[in-house]
Amino acid sequence: MDDPKLARLLEHPAIWRGRSSARLEVLPSGFAALDAALPGGGWPRSGLIEILIPRFGSGELSLLLPALATLTRGASARWCVWVAPPFMPFAPALVAQGIALDRVAVVGGERPLWAFEQVLGSGACEAALAWARKPAPRDIRRLQLAAERGRTLGVLFRPRSAARETSAAALRLCVAAVGNGAEVTLLKGRGARGVVRLPSFGS
Amino acid sequence: MTALSRTALPIAPAARASVHEHSGAALTVVRQEAPEGVGAELWAGLHLPKLMHARQLKQLARLAQGFTPRVSLEPPDGLLLEVRGSLHLFSGVAGLRVALVQACGSLGLQPLLAFAPTPLAALVAARAGKEIEVLTRAQLIGALAPLPLSALRWSPQVVERLKRAGVRTIGAVLRLPRAGFARRFGAAELATLDKLTGTTRELRAAFKPPERFHRRRELNCEAESHAPILIEFAGLLRELEDFLKVRQLGVMALECRLLHRQAAATCCVLNLAAPAADARHIAGLLAEKLSRIELPQPVRALELRPATLLPLSLAVRSLWQPGEHGGGTENETHTLIERLRARLGEAAIHGLRLLDDHRPENSWARSAPPAARAGTHQQAPAPAAGRRPLWLLLVPQPLEVRAGFPRRRGVLELLSEPERIESGWWDGADIVRDYYLARDRYGVRLWVFRERSAPHGWFLHGIFG
Repeated sequence: MDDPKLARLLEHPAIWRGRSSARLEVLPSGFAALDAALPGGGWPRSGLIEILIPRFGSGELSLLLPALATLTRGASARWCVWVAPPFMPFAPALVAQGIALDRVAVVGGERPLWAFEQVLGSGACEAALAWARKPAPRDIRRLQLAAERGRTLGVLFRPRSAARETSAAALRLCVAAVGNGAEVTLLKGRGARGVVRLPSFGS
Repeated sequence: MTALSRTALPIAPAARASVHEHSGAALTVVRQEAPEGVGAELWAGLHLPKLMHARQLKQLARLAQGFTPRVSLEPPDGLLLEVRGSLHLFSGVAGLRVALVQACGSLGLQPLLAFAPTPLAALVAARAGKEIEVLTRAQLIGALAPLPLSALRWSPQVVERLKRAGVRTIGAVLRLPRAGFARRFGAAELATLDKLTGTTRELRAAFKPPERFHRRRELNCEAESHAPILIEFAGLLRELEDFLKVRQLGVMALECRLLHRQAAATCCVLNLAAPAADARHIAGLLAEKLSRIELPQPVRALELRPATLLPLSLAVRSLWQPGEHGGGTENETHTLIERLRARLGEAAIHGLRLLDDHRPENSWARSAPPAARAGTHQQAPAPAAGRRPLWLLLVPQPLEVRAGFPRRRGVLELLSEPERIESGWWDGADIVRDYYLARDRYGVRLWVFRERSAPHGWFLHGIFG
């Protein structure tokens, strides 16, 4: 069994062995410590993730921006849509973080959950962010299905009190501001558990 | 006179042998003959015995334009299509025949259909009820010979005189001598026979459908809810789709009017992100739009009027899924924009762009939703400025001040040196502010400023997120 030739043959990407778990298409988050804790080593490429925050500005956007910047700079990148954001995303700051502004669209605040589902399921977006106060568990399941259908990374921001509720989202985490950085608690995900401290968000 | 130089010739030689017999004489005659072989025309003649209105014939002609661009009307009950170029699309005459009969069937018509190299021959065979399929002129006269003279629709006197002379079929009349026939029965009839056999070419006027689309439909009973209105609109939209498809056009804006008994008509304008012709797509958007409209009274009639017609770029289905390997996403983005706008209004979705101004409020603007990207991305370098927050408050929020320090949910800790922004004196909206990076007691980092002018108020302008 320890034949190096055989071992090399088995490393061929076309060979899929039963005992290894299904390969998950992921997107590096830009933070090595976080990548190590996330299932598959990064944000899922499609599906719904939930980020629970005690209040706006806990570092939840800084956590996502490196990945969003990578997504929007692709050669044939689809959109990155902000659905019902609580404030206006500030264009100069987005550009400074490396986001291609010609891929960003903002959707108005009326009926955010319906709009979010349309955006996720349309197939026109790489990623979509939404802020919703009280989505029902049924809504979250629909959003998760829509995100998979549209091959979109959906991010739903919810208040921290929602941690007690069950959710169909593929990944749930909780972010709290600590010093210049943030503390990320992984609540749900394939084999994901634990707390990751990110000491500082860049400069 | 060409006819006189060939006094003894029959109107049309019955077989190849007779052509050789008179070949010397035939060469002296200058005629514009229909071409033979490749490039020759092939006409499909449709005879519609059960046609109700002239409108139906035009409707059928519009459908026929889906088969070939050369469609010609023969009122009151005939239609001609030049189909040589379309044959290979239907794997031959038999396939085309099935498709044409189906198209007629969709209008409730049962045509008699014949194929021949000249338009008149196709029509005459169809009228005679003989559904021939003759592809070359060599076989044409043989196929036409047994047909009765009535199919030519000459005047009854001419037919009667021919009958008395013992001539009852087209084959018999073609064997008559040219000069004698012209003298006894008329030059016009001789010209008809020449067109029938392809000796002279018949030029037919092509059918041109009306370019304006405006439909009104009265409802059978007054509609109080949206559902029956939508069903009626679906029918109108299918007509619109047929209208647009033959012209390769699409609509950008569509005006729908709902007419009531007394109240003013309810108007509903649908704006699309890209030219569209698909009835189901438009019907879906219209349903969204109508669901937001309150009907003041029951609806008695509908009107549909496309406002802007634009050439439709034919959709090319990508091999790849949108976004992967450079697959296009134009269709998906247009559909998304239209759906959001139909439900949430025109301002539902917008993009962002940078402006060249140091004032935070004026350094960005809303823009039209981004278009699909072509090629690789090249972005202008980020503006050189101090740290900027990811969130901007559209209106700066005044902060409580105690002992000269700003407060928000407790005392704010100022983390940075002030960054002075002083700009805009030229347009009256000038600002003179010192911006600070601050942190509240929960660790949220904020962008606050102190006005340089009295009363030196503190404001929250952004959140770092």
